[in-house]
Amino acid sequence: METIVFYLLAASIVFTGVAVVAMRNPIHSALALVCNLIGVAAIFASLQAHFLATVQVIVYAGAIMVLVIFVIMLLNIKEEKPARERFLLLGGVVLAGFAFFVALSFVFLHQFQVTPELTDEITGSVANIGRVLFTKYVFPFEAASLLIMAAIVGSIMIAKTKRREVS
Amino acid sequence: MVSVNHYLILSLLMFSIGVTGFVIRKNAIVVFMCVELMLNAVNIAFVAFARMHGNLDGEIAVFMVMVVAAAEAAVGLAIIIALFRNAKSVDTDDAAELRL
Amino acid sequence: MEHSTVVESAQHLTHHVTTQGAALGIIALLPLVGSFLAFVIGKKNRDSAGWIATLAAALSFGCVLNYFFALPEGGAFEHRVFEWFSAGNISVDFLFRFDQLTAVMCLVVTGIGSLIHLYSIGYMAEDESRHRFFCYLNLFLFSMLLLVLGGNLLVLFVGWEGVGLCSYLLIGFWFKNLSFAAAGKKAFIVNRIGDAGFLLAIFLILLNFGTIDFVELGQRIGGASTELYTLIALCLFVGATGKSAQIPLFVWLPDAMAGPTPVSALIHAATMVTAGVYLLARMHYLFVLAPLAMVVVCTVALLTSLVAALIALVQNDIKKVLAYSTVSQLGFMFLAAGAGAYWVAVFHLVTHAFFKACLFLGSGSVIHACHHEQDMREMGGLGKIMPWTAATYWISTLAIAGIAPFAGYYSKHHIITALQTSGESNSLMLAYGECFATVATVVAVLTAFYMTRSACMTFLGSYRGHSHPHESPKTMVLPLVVLAFLAFVGGYLLEHQLSLAGYLHSVLPVHAHGESEGFLASLLHSWPGFLGVGLALLLYTKLTVVPAKLYGLVPPVSKLLADKFYFDEIYDFLIVKPLYLFSFGLWKGADQAVIDGSVNGTAAVVDMTGEVVRVTETGQLRHYGLFMFAAGVFITIFYLIL
Repeated sequence: METIVFYLLAASIVFTGVAVVAMRNPIHSALALVCNLIGVAAIFASLQAHFLATVQVIVYAGAIMVLVIFVIMLLNIKEEKPARERFLLLGGVVLAGFAFFVALSFVFLHQFQVTPELTDEITGSVANIGRVLFTKYVFPFEAASLLIMAAIVGSIMIAKTKRREVS
Repeated sequence: MVSVNHYLILSLLMFSIGVTGFVIRKNAIVVFMCVELMLNAVNIAFVAFARMHGNLDGEIAVFMVMVVAAAEAAVGLAIIIALFRNAKSVDTDDAAELRL
Repeated sequence: MEHSTVVESAQHLTHHVTTQGAALGIIALLPLVGSFLAFVIGKKNRDSAGWIATLAAALSFGCVLNYFFALPEGGAFEHRVFEWFSAGNISVDFLFRFDQLTAVMCLVVTGIGSLIHLYSIGYMAEDESRHRFFCYLNLFLFSMLLLVLGGNLLVLFVGWEGVGLCSYLLIGFWFKNLSFAAAGKKAFIVNRIGDAGFLLAIFLILLNFGTIDFVELGQRIGGASTELYTLIALCLFVGATGKSAQIPLFVWLPDAMAGPTPVSALIHAATMVTAGVYLLARMHYLFVLAPLAMVVVCTVALLTSLVAALIALVQNDIKKVLAYSTVSQLGFMFLAAGAGAYWVAVFHLVTHAFFKACLFLGSGSVIHACHHEQDMREMGGLGKIMPWTAATYWISTLAIAGIAPFAGYYSKHHIITALQTSGESNSLMLAYGECFATVATVVAVLTAFYMTRSACMTFLGSYRGHSHPHESPKTMVLPLVVLAFLAFVGGYLLEHQLSLAGYLHSVLPVHAHGESEGFLASLLHSWPGFLGVGLALLLYTKLTVVPAKLYGLVPPVSKLLADKFYFDEIYDFLIVKPLYLFSFGLWKGADQAVIDGSVNGTAAVVDMTGEVVRVTETGQLRHYGLFMFAAGVFITIFYLIL
């Protein structure tokens, strides 16, 4: 049962991932990415990382993707022009991606000689995550809030219309 | 039985898709979405390793990646807006002023 | 004298009852604050600067007086401000010490300094940047006080450098005139040569005695070889020749006359240039252990005083006459120091400060009146127009000539006596003492002659210039009168009433000097002065054609004198030109070829490499991404093979 669920999820993730790259219309890409991210959330859930699964849906699929779609609509971006590209380059790129994939999987398969099993000692429940986050990782957590604060200020400053340009 | 390797291979596949998209797409927003794909691929690997080792450090790392992704989304999209305002396009090929 | 007795007397002379904790720093601090305020407030209100600076100087003088009267006989005040640094077993404090020698120096510096500040208010009244002038002047006072108050060689050195800096700033005060700015540079650079010697002396002392505190050094002296003492003493003397304008480093002082006249009076006559004499007096216990060095001091001093006096004979610029006269008189002070009569050197320093300051201020008054005309041939007959200036100038001239009741007589007489008896304390001087004394007497005649000549050319006869001279304002006349009064009675007071010898005997070696002589005897002893003054009066009032004829008598000699013995030209040929050529070679050879070449070559290589690598920089994000991931693949494959 677990295996079937995993393969279903993996298939949907790969399919939507390819769709993100392949779609001409950015809106279609974005919708494919939302599906992809929900799939990832499901993977998280299957790995017993309940908290992350929730956050994945809320932050990624919810907030960030809404922001992306909002920007696409705000800028009214048309479909990308058909690439009058050097197809050689495109092929090379796909080939490179594939080589990358093969090489990395080779590394990993050889590195873990003993096929590692998943343990169920401790799960990523909200309670457990919270305990670790506010004890061992309290300083990085606070630093993260600072980072977000800086990002907010930075994005406002960057995107703001300069006063001279208004008139 | 699903092992860690299954998750790792899924993660690698997803990462490679992201890389390919990053290289072949010209639309800055799509490029941005490909970066998100790569980040999520790494997140899957993190969570799988956390399960393997039986502690939560990997999941905290994922949490931090999400924080960074949120910050990146805010700043990155702001940059795209600024770029659009100046170049009237979000094509990355149009934003090549660094080369003389 | 036996070596051991000399050491004992050195230890005795530096053994004071010291009183800790007196706030001596305030003496030096007042002019520093004044300097700051004079600049800041003076920037807004130019006229206030002079009064602020004068007030600061006067307050400082008041403080000095306070400590002077509180100073117990044979005692000293100490003020340890903070520990400056310590390394190993050497510890140097920022230390002020106020003993009898310092007291005399401080009184001269702040007293005459205050008068000259007052004078400057009038003299500089029309200068645009007088706030800067008074700022520097007060800064100079601060440095000079640091120099004389310093309780060890290093604090003294700070002051020493400080006065050098202020001297540079003030000589080049009118820096828009390039030759004035060059004069400032010359003074600074020539002083550096002397400072190098002084620094070497400090290092040698620190290395061999482990202390640079004057008192501790006096206690630890002895035990080292005579050669070492001679070396240290000569290094110190090199420093002194730089600051006090002795051969071979005197060339900067005549050029230093480019500065405003009050500066010439304060720095280049009364105070700063006497720092070398003060240094020798301070370090007397080292010099008495080095008889050879004392002979060198004497010889150099004698040569300097003679050469400078000869040059002064034919100068036509009133300030140049005074400048060479200063060099000559500084030679006299060093003569006294070299003869072992340090207190006489200080005595002459004080009296010289009185009359030379007065002479310089008088010349400043004349220059001010003649609208910055300095050539004496364009003056004459000014005695009727500016009686106060003329009277004070004449009094000081008589003082410097060494005529009996005037100040200069007493110190000069002591110097010649000291030279005659110098063989008693220094066996090396035994053969030369009389000879030195004779030449010194000749110089005294010359001094009287050229000073009277300058006074005659300026104040007697009829006016030869073209402007309309006038008497100077009260702020300028008052210091003149005070200084002339001091030049008149100062010597007598210090000799008979206040007894400088008795006052200084706890810090400087005072040998038994002859019992005081009667007035008639002293008149008799001032015959060189009478001779010089009389001759000059005769030649420049009655037989006015004779000087020109004398001048044309032996053309090479007059030319030699007029061209100042070609000192500048010789230095230019021997030092400046070779140095210039050497630097030029370094510039072309080492700098441009090697250093610039390697730098430019590196840049060229980088440039070419850049041109090649430039091809890969397309400016397109996708290409950069491709390179990045290709690199990732490459690293992975590399990792795989390993």
